[in-house]
Amino acid sequence: MFQPKKPSTMNSHDRPMCVQGDSGLVLTTDPKPRLRWTVELHERFVDAVTQLGGPDKATPKTIMRVMGVKGLTLYHLKSHLQKFRLGKQPHKELNDQTIKDDLQRNAASSSGMMARSMNEMQMEVQRRLHEQLEVQRHLQLRIEAQGKYMQSMLEKACQTLAGENMAAGGYKGMGNQGIPDIGTMKDLGPLNFPPFQDLNIYGGDQLDLQHNMDRPLLDDFISINDNSCLGKKRPSPYSGSGKSPLIWSDELRLQDLGTAPSCLGPQDDPFKTDQIQLATPNTELDSISEIYDAKPVLSGDGIGEKKFEESPKLERPSPRRAPLQAERMSPMINSGSMSQGRHSSFG
Amino acid sequence: MAMAIDNVFEIDFSCYSTSTTTITTADDDPACTWNDWGSPVVDWGSLSSERDEFQDLIESMMDDGTGFKLSQVDNEMSNSVSVSVSVSSDTMVADDETNGEDFKGLRLVHLLMAAAEALTGATKSLELARVILVRLKELVSPSDGTNMERLAAYFTEALQGLLEGSGGGHSKHLIANGTHHHRDKHHQSDMLAAFQLLQDMSPYVKFGHFTANQAILEAVTHDRRIHIVDYDIMEGIQWASLMQALVSRKEGPPTPHLRITALSRGNNSWRSIGSIQETGRWLVAFAASIGQPFSFHQCKLDSDETFRPSAVKLVRGEALVINCMLHSPHYSHRAPGSVASFLSGAKTLNPRLVTLVEEEVGPIGDGEFMGRFIDSLHHYSAMFDSLEAGFPMQGRARALVERVILGPRITGSLNQIYRTRKEYESGPWWEWLNSVGYKAVNMSFGNHCQAKLLLGLFNDGYRVEELANNRLVLGWNSRRLLSASIWTSPQDSGL
Repeated sequence: MFQPKKPSTMNSHDRPMCVQGDSGLVLTTDPKPRLRWTVELHERFVDAVTQLGGPDKATPKTIMRVMGVKGLTLYHLKSHLQKFRLGKQPHKELNDQTIKDDLQRNAASSSGMMARSMNEMQMEVQRRLHEQLEVQRHLQLRIEAQGKYMQSMLEKACQTLAGENMAAGGYKGMGNQGIPDIGTMKDLGPLNFPPFQDLNIYGGDQLDLQHNMDRPLLDDFISINDNSCLGKKRPSPYSGSGKSPLIWSDELRLQDLGTAPSCLGPQDDPFKTDQIQLATPNTELDSISEIYDAKPVLSGDGIGEKKFEESPKLERPSPRRAPLQAERMSPMINSGSMSQGRHSSFG
Repeated sequence: MAMAIDNVFEIDFSCYSTSTTTITTADDDPACTWNDWGSPVVDWGSLSSERDEFQDLIESMMDDGTGFKLSQVDNEMSNSVSVSVSVSSDTMVADDETNGEDFKGLRLVHLLMAAAEALTGATKSLELARVILVRLKELVSPSDGTNMERLAAYFTEALQGLLEGSGGGHSKHLIANGTHHHRDKHHQSDMLAAFQLLQDMSPYVKFGHFTANQAILEAVTHDRRIHIVDYDIMEGIQWASLMQALVSRKEGPPTPHLRITALSRGNNSWRSIGSIQETGRWLVAFAASIGQPFSFHQCKLDSDETFRPSAVKLVRGEALVINCMLHSPHYSHRAPGSVASFLSGAKTLNPRLVTLVEEEVGPIGDGEFMGRFIDSLHHYSAMFDSLEAGFPMQGRARALVERVILGPRITGSLNQIYRTRKEYESGPWWEWLNSVGYKAVNMSFGNHCQAKLLLGLFNDGYRVEELANNRLVLGWNSRRLLSASIWTSPQDSGL
């Protein structure tokens, strides 16, 4: 543990020339001649110390006597012994001691101090940066978790009420309440779906309209659904499609918001004027769908970008919105890349 | 009696808004057509003739002229209300269009204030209030117009509710969340959609949840069992991200057990998306899906919503956390007495951590209704504007959120202000926690950092301030909106 050579100061390259004296001691030629503790010398030192019963028992005086090296002064031995003793302790302290010695020795010690405090500052900055990255990462995961929960909540709410309605024989009624035509929705294109456009749209066809891809993530909730909410498998209220209601595609997810009324069987007139009804596509619709269009906007700080490399990049639409929510909402989003990323991020 | 609203002269709602995309010109402005007080709805003849002066006052408030000034009206009649209002020329913008808009907005504000004053001021006049509200309703609609107009529409509704309630002395029977309104209960689908949109368009929900969760995580790093008593669990979404963080935590015992006790009330708040049982099921399912050991309990509050600490089952060795979300937009208003019983009762349970999220209230003067009413106007104006700034083109989406979530919230706010103005001290809850002996817990750098990052995902207008070592406040532009603070019980030595 004890290093015969101190890290920086004993580097021969930094040092002025050394001369070897008669006694075999190596002294430096700089203004303040210092003893150079060569390996040999140090071994003799260690021998002497051991003879004397260890670093705690040995004193500079006794060591000097035992070693019998000419030119070795008490001063030399004192400091060396001190270091030797410290060498028996954890590394860190030694380094500190070493650094302190270095600083004391260096004529230009101020620059040494500067280096040290700058080093500390650097470390602090590093630490904070690192923490910020951690926070970013965690934030992403947490937002995703909320999204997952929201989704599962929507589905379950729909399931439960769909079941109830069916039990009550209200299904037929739901079908009749279907409104603004499916045709309308078709006009908007398959992926351009504002979430609440469908609040008043019922019927089985809508599933077909929207279908694109299955959401693998859903599988998690499917099994849960089977066990908890439903108890037993219920026939799909959406007989039009061959898909189980449990398997919603991305595009459909937010349609849940629209189908929820079909599940709930609203008590009163679903065509209340104060509900949002979008009978015809208009600019408003498209703009609503834009909520979930994520237009990549590079984050101002480089950190943000780097961190999200492994997951979809931090995209901000203009105006901005949460990137992960954008992914979650990919029904609204035309960009395939979003869905791509989304899958990976949910891994 | 003259009512001085001097401090109100500086109302400038334009500071909260970014440029709006709606344009009103003088031609479109229905104000031009206001000239008849002789509408069938209002029978001025039946009112005292001494009201002529006030009639002028009201008319001039509706006046479309520029740079209007209303002179102070001193009326000796005991029933009259005089309003002294003047508008500084600074609020008049050179641009004609915005001039018209600001102008109209100001006009609406003045009318609202006059109505509020008529309703609650020292010289109440329900008749006058009714008249003003009628006029307001003609001017504004919740579904179109500018932010200010829609906001005014909701405030008008809220005041109308107060008017109807106070007429028959029914104020006590108003449900805490102000659902006494004639508007029907919203469909669950609307609620879900609006809630989803609110979360996507604004950081209000997440700020409170995430700040609280981060503090909880930090407080329970080395615990194996965590017990959270949630005052108002609503749909439970707050706990999704906490669970996710717990299953993936690196320090301390892995995957600690989480137990949540949700307080339930006799009357299921219409605003919640599901019942407490449903919330429990959702949470159980979610926990199972991510492998989080979890159990869910309910604890019923008394019929008057008082909390009894003994009703909570405690387990030795668990870290107890008290979670109190009061005012995220989609939450219901809770009676102050209930909240107080909860927070003080919780102290006897010696919790490791108390998380409190509440509305940040601005200066409210002497706590009287008018001051708080105006503050409320500022508050929701900022919220409306924050939504618009982020999503200017998505008017429909915003209208849904406003209708389903913010509108009822405004009604609830006013109800609460109206009913509690004399009975209760209206200071913030965090001040109250301080005064009853809870100790502040430092808000960590990481927590603050998370808040800033979160806001950055939305819009530059949002900002977070650290107003105390244990309190972060979310604001929009110059208006502070939501406060999140963390505390621990005084005897606790766990942390």
